[in-house]
Amino acid sequence: MLNAFSAEALKLRRHRATWFLVWIFPIGALILYSVAIIVQLSRGLPPSPVAPELESWLASAANFWGLPRSGFGRIIVTAYVGIVFAGEYAWNTWKLIVPHRSRPSLIAAKFAVSLLLLYAAFIAAALLVNLLGWLNDMARGNPLPEGITPGAIAMAHLQGLAASLPGVLLSAAIAALAAILTRTTAAAIVIGIIVITLEQLFTAFAPALSLYLPGAVEALFNALPGYHLGNLTGWILDGSGRVVPFPNGATIGWGWQGSLAVVGAWITGLTALSFWRFGRQDIN
Amino acid sequence: MEPVLELADLSKSYGRGERAVHAVRHVSLTVGPAEVYGFLGPNGAGKSTTIRMLLGLIRPSGGELRLFGQTLADNPSPLRRVGSLVDGGNFYPFLSGRKNLEVLARTMGRGRERIDDLLAQVGLAKDGGRKVKGYSTGMRQRLGVAAALLGNPDLIILDEPANGLDAAGIQEMRILIRSLAEEHGKTVFLSSHLLHEVQQLCDRVAIISQGTMIHESRIADLLRHDSGYRVEATPVSVAEAALAARWPTQLDGEALLVDATREDVPDLVRRLVGAGADVHSVAPTQRNLEEVFLSMTQSGETSDA
Repeated sequence: MLNAFSAEALKLRRHRATWFLVWIFPIGALILYSVAIIVQLSRGLPPSPVAPELESWLASAANFWGLPRSGFGRIIVTAYVGIVFAGEYAWNTWKLIVPHRSRPSLIAAKFAVSLLLLYAAFIAAALLVNLLGWLNDMARGNPLPEGITPGAIAMAHLQGLAASLPGVLLSAAIAALAAILTRTTAAAIVIGIIVITLEQLFTAFAPALSLYLPGAVEALFNALPGYHLGNLTGWILDGSGRVVPFPNGATIGWGWQGSLAVVGAWITGLTALSFWRFGRQDIN
Repeated sequence: MEPVLELADLSKSYGRGERAVHAVRHVSLTVGPAEVYGFLGPNGAGKSTTIRMLLGLIRPSGGELRLFGQTLADNPSPLRRVGSLVDGGNFYPFLSGRKNLEVLARTMGRGRERIDDLLAQVGLAKDGGRKVKGYSTGMRQRLGVAAALLGNPDLIILDEPANGLDAAGIQEMRILIRSLAEEHGKTVFLSSHLLHEVQQLCDRVAIISQGTMIHESRIADLLRHDSGYRVEATPVSVAEAALAARWPTQLDGEALLVDATREDVPDLVRRLVGAGADVHSVAPTQRNLEEVFLSMTQSGETSDA
């Protein structure tokens, strides 16, 4: 398994997609925040008169973590994982490596390396955003709230990372399965984008749709992962879940354990399908 | 000695029922250690499908496949003793030739020590640092051979190894393949449409047509199969009359082609002399592999020597 992991890492480190879809996060964060700081300093804005609340400052320090769990961030994850998996079909390179390593270990290595690269980039970007925000405060002379400690900052980032994980893992599972089923990069990316967009649209419009098909829509709302991803984020970041009222008077509000089980089941199920399908697939 | 490779009734079908396409039907063969075995067939005959089943890329629909005495269905580990070149070498285009071999070495759990030697062996020492997307077909093919040899395998499976190579490259490939068997004791299983190459390289050959194996024998036996004698004797008309009564005979310019065996030759000469013909030459006519191959694949002949 470690050999497959090491081979995958060597391969992906040098792939252009890793630069455009992974390292783009810290590079983009560095450029955007640097430009924002320069613009603010050049405008000569006065320092804020009062220090923000500690919680607000910490949330702002870790606000990068909103990107990986957003629709846009998840689409980037989908595109990258789609390329990682479908690329082997496009380059015809499964024939090079499949005879030398068990198929499950090759798939596991792809998941592990792509997610590790993504999270290395996310962590780097989050810390850069944090650092540049603090430099901005220093440069402008903004007062900082009392109680900022390395531990508090680390906890804010840890919470952000934890809240991003379910969405990122689900997106990776969708993209990998789409790549294995379609064997083409473009189809894998398009399917991934469509599925994620539909999931988000349904989550947003389910209460309105329930006016037409109340039972089915409510059941789908409970069973699909969209609501549960938001609910888990709420539990992790705010300590409380999301309660969604439906027009028929019903309200949906799950505990974190239930939502974790639903999202976990989706991720596990889709990933298991990828392993199973690839294990039986003819590589022509 | 234990066979390196055994196929027993190996089959592959796509689809089910009446619409099923049978790509490979009941192919059985055995390849021994240090043997160079040729696998011949026209396009679409099932050669590549068979090779992909050998490499665990395609699941057989039926039959059994044993590598080094172990069935692949139970355990894919025998494949670690196999090196392969399929489809002319498939590599990551964004990596250099050397990095591609490094990816493969890591996948196999092996070190990088042999990479430079192998690149030199296949004539890519200078180009090993270039990205594969800039390689010619022949360079990819040579890199594919290096990849096949990387794990120091006991069995090397080569699908059309001479594709894309120029005359000198083909000659080098031929020397390399023979040396693998003769000097290093490797077993080589190769498919090729270059029948001349197979004739010079292989110890034994199997011919497959429309998914079915129609012949397996030593090359020498295959070429002797269905051969005859070319007789030069005068007057030709007298010689033809003397021989045609006993063997199928046809005129070929000033000579006669007689469908006789080696054991028939003394009788053949006696008949000519007895008929008053002057015998100038009696020589075996061997069809080349191409002629044998074409006659078999076109007629669908089935025989096992």
